Amino acid sequence: MLDTFEIVTTSGVVLWSRTYVPVGANVINSLIREVFIEERTLPQSEDSGSKPSYKKEGYTVKWTQAKDLGLIFVAVYQSLVHLTWIDKLLDNVRALFVGLYGEQLKTELSSVVNCDKFGPYFDRQMQELEGQSDSSAPGIKITTPDSSIDNDSADEGAPAAALQKPPQRALFDTSADSTPVQTPDTSRPTTPASHILAGKARPAGAKLSRRDRKKASGSPAPASSGDEASAKRKGKSTKKNRTWGELGAEEDDGDMVLDYSQSDIRDGAPEPEQLEEIHQDTWGRKTNKGEFVLKDLDEEMDAIIQAQNAKKEKAATAAAGGIVGSSLGAIGGYFRNVVGGKTLTKEDLAKSLKAMEEHLLRKNVAREAAVRLCESVERDLVGMKTPSFTTIESTLRTSMEKALTRILTPTNSLDLLREISAVNQSRPRPYVLSIVGVNGVGKSTNLSKIAFFLLQNHHRVLIAAADTFRSGAVEQLRVHVRNLQELSRREGGEVDIFEKGYGKDAANIAADAVAYAEKNGFNVVLIDTAGRRHNDQRLMSSLEKFGKLANPDKILMVGEALVGTDSVAQARNFNASFGAGRKLDGFIISKTDTVGDMVGTLVSMVHATGIPVVFLGTGQHYSDLRNLNVGVITRLLMS
Amino acid sequence: MAWYDEDSWLTQALSPKPSTILITFAIAILLPILLHSFLYRKAATATGLPTFLLVGPSGGGKTAFTTLTERGTVPTTHTSTAPLQIEALLPDPHVPASSHYRSPGDPAFERSRRFIIHDTPGHGKLRNYATSTLADPKNVRGIVFVVDAAAIDEEAGLNEAAEYLHDVLLSLQKRYTNAKTSKGPKEIPVLIAANKMDLFTALPASAVKTKLEKAISAVRNNRAKALRDAGAKLTGEDDVDEEKEWLGEGGEGSFEFDQMREIGTTVDVIGGNVSQGKNAGDVAGWWSWMGEHL
Repeated sequence: MLDTFEIVTTSGVVLWSRTYVPVGANVINSLIREVFIEERTLPQSEDSGSKPSYKKEGYTVKWTQAKDLGLIFVAVYQSLVHLTWIDKLLDNVRALFVGLYGEQLKTELSSVVNCDKFGPYFDRQMQELEGQSDSSAPGIKITTPDSSIDNDSADEGAPAAALQKPPQRALFDTSADSTPVQTPDTSRPTTPASHILAGKARPAGAKLSRRDRKKASGSPAPASSGDEASAKRKGKSTKKNRTWGELGAEEDDGDMVLDYSQSDIRDGAPEPEQLEEIHQDTWGRKTNKGEFVLKDLDEEMDAIIQAQNAKKEKAATAAAGGIVGSSLGAIGGYFRNVVGGKTLTKEDLAKSLKAMEEHLLRKNVAREAAVRLCESVERDLVGMKTPSFTTIESTLRTSMEKALTRILTPTNSLDLLREISAVNQSRPRPYVLSIVGVNGVGKSTNLSKIAFFLLQNHHRVLIAAADTFRSGAVEQLRVHVRNLQELSRREGGEVDIFEKGYGKDAANIAADAVAYAEKNGFNVVLIDTAGRRHNDQRLMSSLEKFGKLANPDKILMVGEALVGTDSVAQARNFNASFGAGRKLDGFIISKTDTVGDMVGTLVSMVHATGIPVVFLGTGQHYSDLRNLNVGVITRLLMS
Repeated sequence: MAWYDEDSWLTQALSPKPSTILITFAIAILLPILLHSFLYRKAATATGLPTFLLVGPSGGGKTAFTTLTERGTVPTTHTSTAPLQIEALLPDPHVPASSHYRSPGDPAFERSRRFIIHDTPGHGKLRNYATSTLADPKNVRGIVFVVDAAAIDEEAGLNEAAEYLHDVLLSLQKRYTNAKTSKGPKEIPVLIAANKMDLFTALPASAVKTKLEKAISAVRNNRAKALRDAGAKLTGEDDVDEEKEWLGEGGEGSFEFDQMREIGTTVDVIGGNVSQGKNAGDVAGWWSWMGEHL
């Protein structure tokens, strides 16, 4: 069952909502944050047939957008439930809402949309779609009793039935007020009620009865499972009858209706027509009773939806007109392109996007990241109108700049000094920072650059040589430490090295270093690790132990600006190597001074993981470590 | 028929015929008018009205306050992904400072009560909307920095708010110091709207002020110690004498909001709550502040 349906503007105002079961606002908030802003979870494109979905806290969220109006239509329901008609509902509601209130939405300098009257429209849609899913799914009806039998026989050990159990449970849950425990009880009073209603041939009653039958056909299952096992192996119809006889007070009535339902189930194919007739009939009745509103609404609703769909189709077929039409269209399109005010379609953008992708690839952005950026820009632009006097290219450019800024800007601030002081104040343990990366990217160099930066701020730094693999690694760090000691003598601050030679376990050395630092009053520990190839499972697996034992406050990964497409895989593998619950905290991109404006690696790595770039290495000296400047990087990439 | 024939369209267009003159005349008069109406119809509606810019970290209640000002009720709101501009009337008991002397029936009085609220998304990745407006604040009469007074009690919330506020104030200061005229640009006051006062854990306005001042000092100190920006190095310029600007009195000592007076910015902290649901909270203080600067 649908829990909540909301219509939200991109500026965050809920225009209209219908709540069946209250859902915390944080579900939709995190959908907006993670999908729309941070793009952490990529939705599949709408062409794949179904609407994109997002899962959070046991809820499934499905949404669709009306880009030009800045609307998001969100449907939230429990993940346990499979609602097949949600896509259709979203589409219909979008068409309805845009058709009814599109003009109001376009007024500038106002967020008010007077849509109190949308409720009935929505309710009709819901009823209709739910009804359709009920009546148009005789197949499901057949499977339900089948599976209930399966469930019965599952008591004697049929593992396949276990797979079918969850959806069925869900059905029970959704049929509202009945908890599983009560099902046998509730089925008794509801069934007679449904007889009466069915006798009156009212649609709601009929629907109800069908649902109840479903419920009933399921609910005897737990009851009958206590019965003799022999009955279960018989045909379902006979078994049905028997259970009903045992349960229901009015056996005859129950049998009759049951028979009816059975036939309903058996010849599912001709049944829909019959059902349609009943529907028609009941429309008449409703109107006779004086509920004209519903019928009016229905017609109006269909008209609006059709109009919207026709508009869409027209837009789609407009391109494929006659010769005169197409040439006129071409001229118009050209004019529009110059003047602006053109509604962008996929075809319009394709060429420019291709060029943009090529441009990004030339800037050393990995193909995967470039494609994704272009897709995100396309999602952003399709359905938009270009502003006056702007071409598609310039619109695309600004949109790409926006996308780049968004992807590179960190969500939280990355103030290393503040974090260190916060950690040192809150506990006696030193702040532990460790550095990982593939071979030869400059782990030790960047480590000593960070050490230099911290020494300038008068921290007491311990460098742990946990690279016990490559010969000369410890000596290299020792030289760095000697230099840094020399430099820090004037500035203040203190630095030392913690080493245990070669061949030992890196994780243990790191843990020892932290203990040593705590005892000797160092407040920062920097751990250097051995370089490892990111696709070597054996080497990467030791990182998990390392993460657990040393428990660093921050794990930074060093990546070269020189590396191309491989950067995506590097970032991804390292990010995944620390086991569940631990991720990288940031990247250091080294050697950026050697690539000029081809700084695409930054984008590739951030794209792959959503983890921000913290520092850039820009030269050979200890002082050549820089913070990221998003504006400059974006400009370099777009130049 | 060649173009130089007597009855070709080119010859006709250049001949002194009354019809030609009439058409030319009509085009000469109508074209600029049409162009003007085409270009300026949209722009004209938006300009001129005084604007209040709403900034602040995500989840502070900016959009809720915007809708409260516009319609008097608060619908539920979610995280914004796009900026929102709405036109509103200053709610009733509050009178714009510029028309204290006017009587309520005066049409000029009604006009002076109208203003625009510019709501910006507060999410870290989307602050460029706010910063781009701050870089060129046309018609901006004041900045309302909405902050969650309950979240500020915690380290993370405080730091986020302080950093954002620091950036806002710094860009105001830059605007003042980079001004070309000796008079300086029009001053933009800042209101720190301590929202969600109805919550049990919310800090009072005075505590919000001292906490933010302290946190901004810390932000400033850390920025001073932090590494330099990669900008100059990457674009190939010399980054030797890249001078940074420090907020308030050259970045010495502890920061206080009063120091911002020097650059023509007053900072007020007023508590209130835009409560969601039945009772429309208490934001009279903010509205009267807006009235004072309208």
